[in-house]
Amino acid sequence: MTAPMEVQEPAVDDLTVTDKPWIVIVWNDPVNLMNYVVYVFQKLFGYSRKKATRLMRQVHEEGKAVVSDGPIEQCEADVARLHAHGLWATMEHPS
Amino acid sequence: MPRWKRFRAGAGDTLVVSLTEEELTLLRSLPEQMRAVFEGDNDDPARARLFPRAYLDPTAESEESEWQALVHPSLLRERLDALELITATLVRASVNGDWWQIALTPDEVQAWLGVLNDTRLVLGTKLGVTEEERVLDPADPDAGAYAMYQWLTWLQGDLVEALL
Repeated sequence: MTAPMEVQEPAVDDLTVTDKPWIVIVWNDPVNLMNYVVYVFQKLFGYSRKKATRLMRQVHEEGKAVVSDGPIEQCEADVARLHAHGLWATMEHPS
Repeated sequence: MPRWKRFRAGAGDTLVVSLTEEELTLLRSLPEQMRAVFEGDNDDPARARLFPRAYLDPTAESEESEWQALVHPSLLRERLDALELITATLVRASVNGDWWQIALTPDEVQAWLGVLNDTRLVLGTKLGVTEEERVLDPADPDAGAYAMYQWLTWLQGDLVEALL
């Protein structure tokens, strides 16, 4: 066996930090129906029934779920579409 | 009120909804009430539930204001358009035996779905509903609104089942 080569850790620069995607969070609420939330996730994001159901369950059981991520403009548009469908969504930039 | 499937596939890509006369009357009263909420006071918690913040972070006020300025007019317009669309469908209900029926196009179905959900959000906020089902005394001042909420919940659930 050969000794592992020494690997240089890439330096974390500002670019890496600013490239980090924004995230869109959907929060649990007592009014929206479970099957409606699944339907909205499928309609807006094109998710499979299975993935949409898993996200809905996560919102219901854990109180929230990250449903999409990406550049700020895309997240702003996603939040607007979710609000248009009555879901309680917010966006943030993980630090 | 009878509880069986109210949304069934119709001719082409339509969905046919069947309603009792009482239900049709109830639905016809919704658009005007919802319009009042949409265009009403910013401090109304029900209105705030329909048009919530995008940024949870209270220090992101400038981002929040920019986002609101950008999207609020179109979000409001879409909701008002849905009210007009559902109103137009309710006008053309026709009697078939004991039922009033309306064939809905896919766009009209989306308007129905949106208005039913928005109305439940407004009623649910006003009533302070939780995930636990309430049993209200018929004399309770909220009894009528809660019965309406439960009926809309059932109707919307049936519509979503037809779409999934």
